[in-house]
This record gives sequence, structure tokens and C-alpha cells, in this order.
Amino acid sequence: MPLKIDNYSNEVLKNISFTLEAGEYLIILGSNGVGKTTLAKVLCGITPSSSVTIDGITPSKLYSEKRAKLINYIPPKLDIFDEFITVREFLELGALNNNLSINASLKKLHITHLANKTCKLLSSGESQLLLIASALLHDARYTIFDEPTANLDPQKMQLLFTLLKDETTLQSKVIITHNLDLAYKLGYNILFLAEGAVKFYGTSTDFFEQEHLDVLYDGSVKKNDNNIVVKL
Amino acid sequence: MKKVILLFALILLAIAPFFGQIDLPLSELFNVNSMEHKVFFDIRLPRVLLAFLVGGILALGGLIFQTVFRNPMSTPFTLGVASGATLFTAIAIVLGFSTLSPLFAFVGAMMTVLILFGVASRFERYDSSSLLLVGIALSFFYAAALMVMFYISSLQESYEIMRFTMGSLDIVGFENIIILVLTSAFLLTVIFKYRYELKLLLTSYEFAYLKGIDVKKTNYILLFAVSVAVGVAVSFTGPIGFVGLIIPHILKTIYKQSADKLIVPIFFYGGVFLVLSDLIARNLGTSSDIPIGVLTSFLGAPFFIYLLIKRKSS
Repeated sequence: MPLKIDNYSNEVLKNISFTLEAGEYLIILGSNGVGKTTLAKVLCGITPSSSVTIDGITPSKLYSEKRAKLINYIPPKLDIFDEFITVREFLELGALNNNLSINASLKKLHITHLANKTCKLLSSGESQLLLIASALLHDARYTIFDEPTANLDPQKMQLLFTLLKDETTLQSKVIITHNLDLAYKLGYNILFLAEGAVKFYGTSTDFFEQEHLDVLYDGSVKKNDNNIVVKL
Repeated sequence: MKKVILLFALILLAIAPFFGQIDLPLSELFNVNSMEHKVFFDIRLPRVLLAFLVGGILALGGLIFQTVFRNPMSTPFTLGVASGATLFTAIAIVLGFSTLSPLFAFVGAMMTVLILFGVASRFERYDSSSLLLVGIALSFFYAAALMVMFYISSLQESYEIMRFTMGSLDIVGFENIIILVLTSAFLLTVIFKYRYELKLLLTSYEFAYLKGIDVKKTNYILLFAVSVAVGVAVSFTGPIGFVGLIIPHILKTIYKQSADKLIVPIFFYGGVFLVLSDLIARNLGTSSDIPIGVLTSFLGAPFFIYLLIKRKSS
């Protein structure tokens, strides 16, 4: 039941091919504008392509709950048109996970107090937590998080880290991030994009060798005892 | 607040048929042979019902268009459906088939819908703003064609065309009302059937897609249902502006709820708004009624601007 992309190219991406087995985790890294979000949208079918298959199914060609159960994408920002949809109403939409209640998901993300607030009035950090709660309720086989920590304060970052690290949280997680320390601590396999192509696809241990980092990040990243820090 | 408005609306609907150029004493109303009985049941009551149903269809159409096109200014007329109906009415009048003009108007509206969806099917990717632009281009085309009709028509014909474009609720008897009841039922049924999808569309297209919805198909079904209903309505009354634009906005301001919960209220108050507008138009004491479309715009435009200012400042 793997997620497969086979030799995909467009204006940004070049000959992308890789396979992610069910239950495997992945972190996608790469500089701004390199095509990480583009890749995520291709994988989940928002950008249609027949190069992508899950169980042999092309996501963009199937419209049903079955497809929804296969793959989900969590954007970095909440986009919502109606100004009166509340947090609870938003979470009720497409809550396909029978093992998690709306209230439990709110509690997990520490946003119970926001339940009746309208989504449009949330701060960017709050809406990020809402999106993650929605991902838990959706519970797709593959869930792609696009910069899930971009707007979070340190405590919320810890909360999210613990949640992602927990193996019972969701099935296969794919995380796009610029936070190298988060990537390092999660320890998942790394896919590194450069100039629209896959430059590295391998284990976390191999990726976070100091020499390797020096090559990829021009010496701007340093590995300390147990942390990855950006030299400022 | 909501209950007070509802009470006023119900009272308004109940008394609306009793006001007009002739007073109707209650004592004569149930005398089957009296003129009052005839006026009330053949003219006043059908007219109020017509206003109510057309207002409801236009308002609900506005809500759906604003949702599908992500554009608070779009109305069922934005895609050229009303212009199509107007042009074909003009053609009917110029060809000497004025009595068949509702049929022509309906054909015009439906032809527009078919052209729109024919063009849309050729788009490589679903794109609501392209569809909107096609509608606007069609409207301009129809407007030019309408000018040609004016140009080649006689003075009397021009006057008839002009009256149609102003909108009118003149109607006799209940046959047409039955058609509109069926049309409203069709529209409400389709919208209720797609209520969950509609709510997903109120978030974002991407979110709706990820929940397994075929966004393009859903949008087309909703737009098609609205266009058919509006086509029927316009063929009876001519284009009546502003109802589809302002009623959804006003109701959202009052109810402060997501649009999927306002389907019935928007239909109801769209109807009430047009009944009220018609009541005013019929009772201004002028020798002939003011065209309904003129009145809805006079009432609607300032109120709409007031709402926008109020919302921005709060």
C-alpha cells in the first residue's frame, strides 16, 4: 500500500520519483521556493497528476471518502471563505476518524476554549493548531503537514513535537519544515529537494552528519551535542 | 431581534394582498360574485405569491453564486442569464410574438446556461473566475444585441422591451404560480441535497477536495440549478436587480451564522423583501405602479452601502 510518485516534472520540479511505504514517516526539507509545497499538492492530487498512485489509485481521479481516507494535506495557513464558521463546525466537516471525538481533538491541541469562536478570528498560531486538530480527525493513511510549526510559540511547539513523535498519532506522517532541529529530533527519513530535484533521500543519521550539512547549507548550520542550530 | 423581524415579516405577508389602488373591504371578499373577490383572488394574491417566490429564488441564487465564485458581488445575473432572457424577450416582441415572450425569455436564459457550461467543459482545469468572465463577456454581447433590437424596433416595441427590462410583477391567475412553486421546490431540494458539499465549499476548494468532494461537479450542479430557477423567474417578471445581492448579505449580518444554515431564511426573506418592495410600488399613489426593479434598486443600493460601512467600522 505504498505512496508512489514516478518521474514527475513540472515548471518547478524535475524528475521526482520516490516511494513511501504505509506506516513510514518522512521529512521534506529544502530552501524557499524549491518546490516542497508544489510537491505536496501533487502528492495529494490538488494539482492533478497521473504520476502519483496510492495502492494503484491516482488520488486526483477519485472523488469519494475512500480517497479522503488515503491522503490529506494540511496547509501552513487556514483558508476559509465564510466568516461565520466556528472552530467546532470546521472540525465537524470531514471528521472521518471514528476513534476521536471533536472534544478530544480540541483537548489534545489545548484549544477547547476556542470551540465556539469563528475561524476567521483566530490568530495564525491558533489556526495552525486548529488545522492539526482537523488532521487528527480526518486520519488519512498519509498526512502531509506543510510547515506545521511556522506560527507556534515555544510551548505549542513542544506540544506539537510530542504529538508528532507519538507513533499512535496518525498513520504515515510527511512533514515539510524549515525547522532542522525538529527534523533532527523526530528522526524520520529525510527527503532533501534542491533546484526542483531530489538531492538526498535517506536516513536521518546520514543526513545530519556535520560534513553533509556543510555541503547542503553552506556552513550556516551547526550540529551541537544534541541539537541542530542555525549560526546567527 | 430575529423573532421581531419574523413577526413583522409574517404580518407583512398577511396584509400585503389587501393594499393596492382599490380598497378591498373584508365583507365583500368572500362574495364570489363581487369585483373585490375577483381582484383579491385573481390579481392581488397571485401577485404577492409571485413576488414572494421570485424574491426567494433570486436571493437564494445570490447566496449560491457568491459561494461558488468566492465573490460577494456576484448574483444570478452575473453570468448573463438575465441578459439572455431580456434579449430573447426583445426578439419575441420585435418578431410580433409578445404573447409568447415568457417562453422566449426562458429559452434565452436556458441557452445562456448551455453556452456557459459548454464553454466550461472545454476548460482544462476547473476555474470559477474564467466561468465568471465568460458570463460577463456574454452579458456584453447580449447588451449589444439588445441595442440592435432597440434600433430595428418600432416605438411601441421599444417601449415594451423597456418595460420588461424594468421588471414587472403583473400576473393574473394561479397557473404560473404553480410553475414557480415547482421551480422553488426543485431549487431548494438540490441545495439541501448538496448541503454538506456547500458547507465544505464555504471553507476552501482545497479543503473540500481533500474531504473527497468533486468541487467542479458540485459547483456546476449548484450553478445549473440556480440558473434554471432564475431563468424561469426572469421569464415571468423580467430582471429584478439587487435582491440576489443584498438579501444574503443582510441575513448574514443579522444571523451571524455560516451560509449553509441560512438557506431557508434567505429564501424566506428574499420573498418578503420583494413583497415589501411591490407593496410600496403599488401604493405610492402614482397613476401607474412604479416598476419593481427600480424600487428594489432604490431600496437596496443605499441600504447595502450602509451595511458595508457599518461592517467595516465594527
